[in-house]
Amino acid sequence: MSELALLLNQSVNALSQAALLFFLGVGLTLIFGIMRIINFAHGTLYMLGAFVGYSIVHATGSFWVALVLAPVVVGVLGLLFELFILRRLYQREAHAFLMVTFGLALVTGEAIRLIWGSDALQVPAPPALSGVIFLLDEPFPVYRLFLASSGIVVAIAIWQILERTRLGLLIRATSQNAEMVHALGVDVNLVRSGVFGIGCGLAALGGVLAAPLVTASHGMAATAVIDAFVIVIIGGMGSFLGSLIGAVLVAFVQVFGNYYYPDLALAFMYLVMLTVLIVRPGGLLGKEA
Amino acid sequence: MRPATVLGVLAIAALLVAPLVLPVFAMTLLTELVILGLFAMSLDLMVGYTRLISFGHVAAYGLGAYASGFFLLNTEMPLIVAVLAAAAMTGVLAIGIGWICTLATGVSFSMLTLAFAQLLYAIAFKWTSVTGGSDGLAGIPRRPGPFGFDLFSSKTGFYFLALGCLLGSYLLCRALVNSPFGAVLRGIRENEAKTLSLGYNTRLYKIAVVAVAYAFGALAGALYSPFAGFANTELLFWLLSGQVLIMVIVGGSGTLIGPILGAAFFMLLEHQLSSYTEAWALFFGLVFIAFVLFAPEGIWGLARSWFGRSQPAETKATGNPS
Amino acid sequence: MTTKPRISRRSMLAGSTAAVASPFIWTSAQAQAANTIKIGLPLALTGPLGSVGQQQKRGAELYAKLQNEKGGLIGRKIELLIEDTVGNPATCVRKAQEMVERHDCRLFTGITLSSEALAIVPKLAEWNSIFISSDNGDGRLTAASFVPNFFRANTSGPMGTRAVSLYLKQSPMKKFFAIGLDYAWGHNSVQVFEDEVKKMGREFIGKVFAPTGTKDYSTYITKIRQSGADAVYTVLAGDDNNAFLAQAAQYKLASRMAMLAEQLELSAMRAVGDACLGMIVSSRYAFTIDNPKNKEFVELWKKAHDGLVPDQFEGEQWQCMRVFEAGIIKAGGIEADKLRPALEDLTIDDIKGKVHMRKCDHQGVQQGFIVKAVKKEGFSHPVPEVIATLPADQVTPPCNKMTYDD
Repeated sequence: MSELALLLNQSVNALSQAALLFFLGVGLTLIFGIMRIINFAHGTLYMLGAFVGYSIVHATGSFWVALVLAPVVVGVLGLLFELFILRRLYQREAHAFLMVTFGLALVTGEAIRLIWGSDALQVPAPPALSGVIFLLDEPFPVYRLFLASSGIVVAIAIWQILERTRLGLLIRATSQNAEMVHALGVDVNLVRSGVFGIGCGLAALGGVLAAPLVTASHGMAATAVIDAFVIVIIGGMGSFLGSLIGAVLVAFVQVFGNYYYPDLALAFMYLVMLTVLIVRPGGLLGKEA
Repeated sequence: MRPATVLGVLAIAALLVAPLVLPVFAMTLLTELVILGLFAMSLDLMVGYTRLISFGHVAAYGLGAYASGFFLLNTEMPLIVAVLAAAAMTGVLAIGIGWICTLATGVSFSMLTLAFAQLLYAIAFKWTSVTGGSDGLAGIPRRPGPFGFDLFSSKTGFYFLALGCLLGSYLLCRALVNSPFGAVLRGIRENEAKTLSLGYNTRLYKIAVVAVAYAFGALAGALYSPFAGFANTELLFWLLSGQVLIMVIVGGSGTLIGPILGAAFFMLLEHQLSSYTEAWALFFGLVFIAFVLFAPEGIWGLARSWFGRSQPAETKATGNPS
Repeated sequence: MTTKPRISRRSMLAGSTAAVASPFIWTSAQAQAANTIKIGLPLALTGPLGSVGQQQKRGAELYAKLQNEKGGLIGRKIELLIEDTVGNPATCVRKAQEMVERHDCRLFTGITLSSEALAIVPKLAEWNSIFISSDNGDGRLTAASFVPNFFRANTSGPMGTRAVSLYLKQSPMKKFFAIGLDYAWGHNSVQVFEDEVKKMGREFIGKVFAPTGTKDYSTYITKIRQSGADAVYTVLAGDDNNAFLAQAAQYKLASRMAMLAEQLELSAMRAVGDACLGMIVSSRYAFTIDNPKNKEFVELWKKAHDGLVPDQFEGEQWQCMRVFEAGIIKAGGIEADKLRPALEDLTIDDIKGKVHMRKCDHQGVQQGFIVKAVKKEGFSHPVPEVIATLPADQVTPPCNKMTYDD
């Protein structure tokens, strides 16, 4: 493979990986921005998206339907959880959220095992996305291109929503000063519920998209939750753009790092995080000191 | 005498006579509970007294376990010396870890502690010559000494060693939090900016509490590896960091005793539930959600309210917009 | 704001205390059926390795059920003590210790992870217990970490790799690359493969290791493609194996080179589907192994499990229980000092053919099987079809070693 082909190949790989990481991270950062919640269950919701996606694909025969429905299902479940449980805890310390999301992760993880069994499940990509295209004479999976493009599309969509719509304005305002927003007559609780639901849905979307690459499996949650936190911290908790930058940075470092220094594979993500936090303790675009 | 003191004396007495009363398997569990209790209590210094939420406390545990395991396997150090040396060594290392982590606050601090724990995990995995890599260290002996003193090498003797470490550490931590140093920690917990403006170098205090917490956490780990006979990378796995944090919260943070009870509760509940049903994780998770909703002060809070002392519910510190 | 009714807090405290106090209450009302043969299985029933542990559980349970229907062993019923370790060595030691101290259980099998096995093995002498492994493949268990109370009834990692290498002797392929998981098993097996390739006078181009939990294998796949090898040998398991294969299929890696693996059990084939078609794999047990005992076993299994065929770890666990059976009958008892010599030099002839538990390192000397993932009627996913059988004495390493001399 020529140097240029290798570079191109690896870059598109990194972009596809960045897309998955972005989906994981953006939900977490939105939730944290509004609610200051550290959601231990975020990885489990990602995993739930993959399994729900599997069932929808089997029921309808369509991956595309699963792509739309699974995030909605998980988003609604997240919304219900916020409504009935999280809402009672806003006056409480961070401890409460840590423990309640820890409990949620346990319950959801086991529920998944009870419903879908212990084995990993295949979620095949749709035939349209299953081929390869040739980049500089090297085969490259269409699915990864699809992933990279979805990441870009969703990122732009979220950005536009945040910048241009009333909902986006409410979200940004609430994350900065919830009391003021409340004083202006907006139902802040509704904004919170909505954002939590959207955050969960985005994680689930990541899960459905990841499933053709890694299968719907029980080990998904563990690695996902750490990845999500690392990206969000690197980018800055609560910053949408930060989660995008964090995802791209981590993906590129991992892909190129693993190629040249596979021995350090375990450590790359943390070394990046350490470096960023030492230089900018709040993350690249973060507000926390 | 206050109810809490009576309870305390009774508890210690019960722990001391346990080997005469409890069957062997219960003593094995109890010894492990004592070790975990020490581990959780050490974290409380950071979480409960200083509001430094660590996601990487396994670093202390794992370092302690590997260090004492290494000493016991490769040197002639007696058990008690190896354990104390491992704890001290980790405390010193933790000064460096604390120095870097306290560059940040809030969630960034937590993630830095996680980063260190993960890096240690990676090192333990790869540095096969010292740590045994993914196989870990096995067959760790409980070496007797000094002067042929081998009381601690037996099961019951080891239990008393662990218990002694727990009680000794508790007394030291209690003294620490009741001292002026502890008062500054609480000041940092309630309002760091204000404490800083009063002239205290809050960062130094934070580094100090990290070092002390890691030292006691490492003491627990250093006891674990000769207890179980092995040390491996699973002891540095981040899941345990999350679990010990939950032990502190469910027990009642900021009380030193609460986390010890929380550790016992966590481990025993998991142990028992998993022997009743494969779906134990479901009920386990529900229990914690229930605690958040119905018993915010944790187990120690429940116990105290049972004795008639009510505790106000934990609320957010003042001065921070939600 | 929520109110805090004192009643519910008291009941929470009472409930919590009761729940956790139970192990300390020594009840004589333990449902201890007198004189059963207790076999302890501290398995990973939940968690990422749950799929393997569940297989081991099913294998042991079917054996115990059928054997108890025949009256048990030496006139005693078999009682399985099954506990969940979630794949955590600390939990495994805790559970196993309780089985020994509380239930007087001195026989063990079905430990899922090698790291768990390595934590248990040094304690066997203190517990006066015998452990017969059904799944642990780590080479050192019969080498550097060997203890007299440990026996291995299953095919080990080195044996699996050796089988593939022997099979390759008849193949024209010249250049090989390897990828393994970055821990003891992966390194050991890749090393054995490398040694074997070089001994055959062929070219070993290179190797790469991926940490467990890797989600994105694109870099590794790129390296493998670039190597120009005729075949890649993969030493992966579980979720990592599935992820690698699914992604390699997307890169159409199989069109460029042959794909070989040390492990690819049926549940993995189901998880990746056609992505594994054509792969040549060393199998520790396949339902297509052609001998009368296995055919009988497969029928029994299908009847008990709604028509499903047995998977790799289910078969291995069954074989392991057969080894227990032969040993216990020969010893006439289950005490370690009687059972250990009975198990040494024991031979059984069962679903995988002859297995000889040799005395020097307690490894079960047995044939190696090479399977190919093919489409078969009646199955919606690829299944392992046996294409070669390698002789036991060539597949099993020399005593107390995890590499081969010849």
